[in-house]
Amino acid sequence: MFQGSSNPFEIFFYWDEILTGFIMTMWLYGWALVIGFMVGLSLAILRQYGGRFLSPIATTYIEVVRGTPMLVQLWLIYSILLIPLGRWTIYSNFTLFGRDITVVFFNARIIVCIVTLGLNSSAYQAEYLRGAILSVSAGQLIAAQSLGMSKVAGIRHIVLPQALRRVIPSWSNEASYLPKYTVIVSIIGVADIFNQAKNIGFDTLLYFPVYIFVAIIFVILISLISKLLNTIHKRTRIPGL
Amino acid sequence: MVNLEEPVLKVVDLWKSYGKLEVLKGISFELKKQEVKVIFGPSGSGKSTLLRCINMLDPPQKGEVYLSGINLMDKNVNLNKLRSKIGMVFQHFNLFSHLKAIDNVSLGLRRVKGMSKDLAKQKALEALKRVKLADRANHYPAELSGGQQQRVGIARALAMDPEIILFDEPTSALDPELIGEVLQVMLDIAKTGTTMVVVTHEMGFARAVASEMIYIENGLIVERGIPNHFFESPKSERVKHFLRQIDVLYGKHEDLIKIEKEK
Repeated sequence: MFQGSSNPFEIFFYWDEILTGFIMTMWLYGWALVIGFMVGLSLAILRQYGGRFLSPIATTYIEVVRGTPMLVQLWLIYSILLIPLGRWTIYSNFTLFGRDITVVFFNARIIVCIVTLGLNSSAYQAEYLRGAILSVSAGQLIAAQSLGMSKVAGIRHIVLPQALRRVIPSWSNEASYLPKYTVIVSIIGVADIFNQAKNIGFDTLLYFPVYIFVAIIFVILISLISKLLNTIHKRTRIPGL
Repeated sequence: MVNLEEPVLKVVDLWKSYGKLEVLKGISFELKKQEVKVIFGPSGSGKSTLLRCINMLDPPQKGEVYLSGINLMDKNVNLNKLRSKIGMVFQHFNLFSHLKAIDNVSLGLRRVKGMSKDLAKQKALEALKRVKLADRANHYPAELSGGQQQRVGIARALAMDPEIILFDEPTSALDPELIGEVLQVMLDIAKTGTTMVVVTHEMGFARAVASEMIYIENGLIVERGIPNHFFESPKSERVKHFLRQIDVLYGKHEDLIKIEKEK
């Protein structure tokens, strides 16, 4: 029987697993954030300007997604998509410091995760974005229309450039929640950083050190994200405001 | 090209209500080229609504609005295109806060009139010169005083070379010491032949350039006439009372314009 190690630094023997897990987490995060943003922006615009038919649809979507646990959403999309997606993998192999490392980019499970995280995030991002759109005074769009611009052009050239600047501080909430939400994917066996930590813990019984280490990685990651967004917010600030 | 006989703007029996609240109850008037019409009346009388009805940003329920003979209430007209021929200057300026003064002015030229970037900038700079703000071209709205912002607003409307410009209480959100510079610019463009409908309480401005003044109350035209008519012998008691009131509240501000002129 394997004896658990008492040296907490032994977890670093598994650095390649932590690395691939970290890459997977960032990969899922990136996709979820981008999909969430694009779908979220569309939802926000539809909810705000969609009129009698589209606006209630967007609102319903947002409320249902925000009102149900992500775990349920994950299982639902898993059971709908997994089999139709089929069995295939897109991955890359390379050697780093003498270890063979496999980074998996796409397979059915990863797609299920990206879809779930992206659609879930879109509902939250939509509300941040809608808040920012609402904060741009109505007079801005009226002025654009009075120049002869269509409503769509006014939204595109006048409202959104201002709303997207204003949304950054509140949107940074979602940008920093989302990396932590990705750990849910370990439930369906995707090898993200949390799943890898669990496996390392299982092998070494060093659960506590490896989870602490993962927590530290998250703290650093999220601090960097906040800092980056703060910088972007400052750089895009409108002079005089 | 514009037929001098044909009014630039003709408003016929305009009705507008919000739910049960009737705001406009049959307003009619017309402007020929180069005319300046001043509309005044107590707050809530429907003046601003009237302007928004004219460019169909808030379409009326009933009535007709003709711009050089084209009926804006016609369902087949391209409203966006027609709106580009109707300038609008707002009480709260409504400058695009993320754009520099020059870009505020050139945006419509580029996006609506399809001008090249360089040509649009050149035209925008000309418009800013007319409101004496060429030196502030690269400032953002928040870096400008209220009076300067409103002059950029006027330049933005002027640059589009509209057939008519609607002014919605252009000075009533300004600090008193900034009113003069805006009125002076309005006076200048009125004298160079811009067709204007101006909602304002600035009687000095009205006296100087209005071809006709229209007093509106409760959505109806109560009295209309040339400025002298109102300042010397207004007919209705309501108009007399109102004119006395704004004299006390706003002052005449005629001095403001004169002082600027002498400089």
